[in-house]
Formats: sequence, structure tokens, C-alpha cells
Amino acid sequence: MLLLQAQLPEGGWTYVVSIVVVSLQVSVTAVGLSTLFSLPVALLIGFTDFPGKQLVTAVINTGMGFPSVVVGLVVLILLSNSGPLGDLNLAFTPQAMIVSQFVLATPVVTSISLSAVESVGQPVRDAAYAMGGTGTDVGFVVIKEARYGIVTAVLAGFGRAISEVGSILIVGGNIVFSDGQSYTRTLTTAITVEARQGRYEVGLVLGAVLLVLVLGVNWLGSWIRSRGRGRGTT
Amino acid sequence: MDQEPGPGTGDDVTLAAEAVSVGFDGQAVLREVSIEVDTGQVVTVVGPSGTGKTTLLRLLAGFRQPDAGTITWEGRDVWSLSDDERLAVRRRTSMVFQEPSLFNAPVLENVTYGLRVRQSWAERLRGRLRSLVGTRPTPASVETALETVGLADEADRNALSLSGGEAQRVAFARALAVDPDVMLLDEPTSNLDPRNTAVLEDAILRARDRGVGVVIATHDMNQAERVSDRVGFVFEGELVESGPPERIFDHPTDPRTRRFVDGELLYEPDDSDGVVPPPPSPPGGN
Repeated sequence: MLLLQAQLPEGGWTYVVSIVVVSLQVSVTAVGLSTLFSLPVALLIGFTDFPGKQLVTAVINTGMGFPSVVVGLVVLILLSNSGPLGDLNLAFTPQAMIVSQFVLATPVVTSISLSAVESVGQPVRDAAYAMGGTGTDVGFVVIKEARYGIVTAVLAGFGRAISEVGSILIVGGNIVFSDGQSYTRTLTTAITVEARQGRYEVGLVLGAVLLVLVLGVNWLGSWIRSRGRGRGTT
Repeated sequence: MDQEPGPGTGDDVTLAAEAVSVGFDGQAVLREVSIEVDTGQVVTVVGPSGTGKTTLLRLLAGFRQPDAGTITWEGRDVWSLSDDERLAVRRRTSMVFQEPSLFNAPVLENVTYGLRVRQSWAERLRGRLRSLVGTRPTPASVETALETVGLADEADRNALSLSGGEAQRVAFARALAVDPDVMLLDEPTSNLDPRNTAVLEDAILRARDRGVGVVIATHDMNQAERVSDRVGFVFEGELVESGPPERIFDHPTDPRTRRFVDGELLYEPDDSDGVVPPPPSPPGGN
């Protein structure tokens, strides 16, 4: 513990806490926005038949494997001073990291949500309609029936965002203020810095915090899925 | 609609299909079929599987517009009405499918669904808040519907944990709870054991006695004989003949009806003798 205290950079435990806070702020915001975007898209695709639907679905699924450094590079080009969105002055800010994580999380959330929506059978939709439901009512029934899958999608998106390192390193710049407060440094980018500087104990502590967060999210997802299965059996 | 009498006002309403034709993928499924139902009357559409009975019920339920002919409510073509008017007409009917198609929720929530969608969003929100603090009363029509199908004690059970027979009874209660003028029942007992079948048939007759018009699609002639006021025999997408059950079953005039009543399998999977095979996968089954 003393060794760890000695290894902590300027700011001590405040440094660690601020990194955790920035990580959560960025990832939760990105996944929240991604969910707001992905859910209607998943419903739209799941409810309608249109030419090229399979292609669109394939593109979304492919998006789950986007290399994060490529996403970071593209977002940085767009947000840099010479880029088309340079006037927004978002490069090397938490907002840029949110944009980057949004791009990475959205295919995950959309794809899993789409699977969940499509798993709600036509008979259930027909029943909702035949009982006097409008299209909106039927949509809400589908969301409710697919709720466990949708929660899984959101948690999977969060897992993808919180454990991401490449793109946020590029667009965020891994910045810490001189008093040790993190500006754009997250758990993952901090671990790379601590490892490079030989402060392995600090890196391990940050790694443990990250692991606990990811494990907690996965456990929550498993628990919700098992709860859904349990309610559906005799 | 100019006037929308509420449920149970005693005003006769008529839901009718007038010379409706429907096809899927260029293949005729229904050809100029006419049928009507008044309140307090059970009309049964019998015929072999794959002859268009489900398609006819889905037309009556407003799932789609017929390719030709009209669906009328109180004499007005429902597809000439505005969206809001057509929704109001749809909400005076309810439907039970061959599969129960229940929601992953307690029985009570399933049975109250039809009432909830008839509420404004503000009313729904208030109801949801009341249920969170445990003070939301169960609507009388929901209690009556659950009692009618003998499941008043199962209100809190998850619907997906019910047996097939119980689930279909909940589906019937869900359709009955909205106090409809007309119920559309698509093979409601085809997957049920005799006991559950008897419970549902009793519930159908009790609904009729309360003034609900009922249209049943079934291939069970015994059931049709037990519960019907009128029977129509559909074969190859055509309404072959219709009339009181005793005439249809005891003195059919058309040889095809006689063959069906005699238990002969009329449907043949190829079209060598002109029998129209069922569509590849029409929405909702046969």
C-alpha cells in the first residue's frame, strides 16, 4: 500500500478517482446516446421490410468489429481544426471521446437490439394490434417483450465503450491537469501510461477497478437474462 | 363514424364481409366471400385447413384491405373511413388466435392490455404510477372476464408459465375484457383438451348471451354444431353454403359440404383436380 501510495502521480488518490469518474462519464454518456439512437433504428429495421434490409443488417453487424484506432483516426480528422467539424473545437475533449465511443458502441447496441426485436414473434405483434393497439402501442409491446435482450445490448455496448482504448487515446489525447485531475484520461488510457512509466502497482489498481466494472456489468447482464428465462418457464 | 354507440347499449351492429377476394403472390385465397355477424349471435366458418378461414377473420379484424369487395361496420365500408374512425371500429372488435400469443407479463397485465391501449397516454401513466404504489383497482370487466374463463385466481401468475389450455383461456379473457361488440376467434380450441375446450365453449356462449357477436373459424364440426347460430362452409376460398347449423350438418345442399360433413378429407396438396393449395406463408397461417 505504501509502495502504491509512493507510486501515485501528482494528486494521489484524487488522480485515480478522477480517472474513474471521467471513464464513467464518457462511457455512460456515449452508451446512453447510442441507445437513444439505436433502439428506434432497431425497431424501424425490425418492423419493416425494404430492399437492401439484409445488406443494412450485415453492415451493422460488421460495425461491431470496427477497429477502434481507425474510428479514432476518422473522428479526429473530422473534429480537428482543419476538419469539417473543426469549428466545434471538440478535438482532445471528453466530448470527442464520447463521439468516438458512440461510433464504436452503436453497432453493438443496434445489432443486439435488432436481434431482440426480431425475436418477438409476429403472433405477439398481431395480438397487440388485434386488441386495438396502434402502431405505437405495438412498438411498445415489442420493446417490452424484448426488454431483456435490449438491456443486454446496452450492457454490451457499455462493455465495449468502457474497455476501449485506441480511439479515445487518439481523439482525447490522454490529458491530465497539473494537479493530477484527469481531463481526458480514462482507466484504459491511464493503464497504458502507467505501464509505460513502470508504475505497475498503479496500473494494476486501475486494471482491477476496470475489471470490477466490466465484471459487474457482465454479471448484471447475465442476471437479467436469467431472470427473463426464469419468468418464461413453468 | 357519425355515432359510436358504446358497448352494451343494445344497438345491433353488423360486421360484414361483402364479396371479398384476397390473393397472396398472385394466388387466390378468398373469392367473393360474404359473411356477416350481428350482436348476440355466433357465426361459425367451417372448412378444411388451408381454405382461407384465417384470412377471412384477419380481414374482418382490419389487418389488411381486401383486394376486392368491402368490409363493412354498420353498413359503412371500414376502408373508406379515416384512420381514427377505423381505429374506433377496430376497438369495437377483439380477436383470439390459434396460438394464445400472450405477453411475457402477469395474467392480469395481459387481460388489461386492451383496456390500457384504449386510454389516453396520461391515463396510462397515472395507472402505471398507481400500480407502483399498489392502489390500482382491477377493472370490473377484467375481473368478469377472468371469472368467465375460470382463472380469477391466476391473475398474478406470469402468463408464459401457464399450460396451453390456461393460456388460451387467458387469451379469450383478454379479448372479452374490452367488452367488444364482436369477437373473432380463429381455431380457438384446436390445441386444447376436452376440458379446456368445454370451458371456452361455455365462455363463448356466455359472451353471446351478453350480446357479443362472435365469429369462429374452425374445422371442428362438432363444435360448430354446439355453439353456432349460423354456419358457413368455406372451401377452396369460396363460401359454398351457409345457414342454420342443423340444415348445414343434417341436410347440406352442396355435395362438397356433404363430403366435408361426412368426414372426407377434401383438401388435396396438388391442384390436379382444381383444388387451390394454401398460399406459401400468408400472414397468420391459413
